[in-house]
Amino acid sequence: MAAPKQYYRRKKVCKFCVERIDSINYKDVKLLSQFVPERAKIMPRRISGVCSPHQRQLNDAIKKARNIALLPFTSE
Amino acid sequence: MRNYEIMFIVNPNSPEDEVDKINSQIEGIITAGGGKVEKIEKMGKRKLAYEIDRNREGHYVLIVLNANGDIVRECERRLRVTEGVIKYITVRTDEEVRRFEKMKSFRQKRAARRGSSHSRGTAVEELPEQIADEAM
Repeated sequence: MAAPKQYYRRKKVCKFCVERIDSINYKDVKLLSQFVPERAKIMPRRISGVCSPHQRQLNDAIKKARNIALLPFTSE
Repeated sequence: MRNYEIMFIVNPNSPEDEVDKINSQIEGIITAGGGKVEKIEKMGKRKLAYEIDRNREGHYVLIVLNANGDIVRECERRLRVTEGVIKYITVRTDEEVRRFEKMKSFRQKRAARRGSSHSRGTAVEELPEQIADEAM
């Protein structure tokens, strides 16, 4: 009788909630680039664990940053 | 009167005083229309994330201002016709600032309430997600 395998998945938490980052600004390239992987797409919530209000702000900020060439639309 | 930020990129091949010239022009438009320039920040030469008109870098300038929409429209028009400006963006910031303030006061109130009623609750035990949701 094999016992069912147990998985321990660490609960993801929203970076912005935990670190109390209130304003997600489009000029903060260092912060934003953590959420755009190599291909320059916006990282989905299911992977980054960002909560939905913050993901919304993050989306806006990334799109603004792309517009002014701080972040790429595509890369490669 | 609202708060805006205008960020624009000047062609990297143009000399430094060209940038200053554009800055003073924009500043002139704003003050002439009754607005206020709060900050002009030259962010220097930066690499662009993608190519714009064959340019790989550019002089970034950020202007923070307090003005009416008409003035901002005029600034944008001027930037569009000015040679050397390869890209610009205008962002309205007052809503963002207001949300930030609200969040801050909410957090302070919460901390005060917790501190007075029951002392066992420390800041670490707060549920940050909940705060974010409620403050929206």
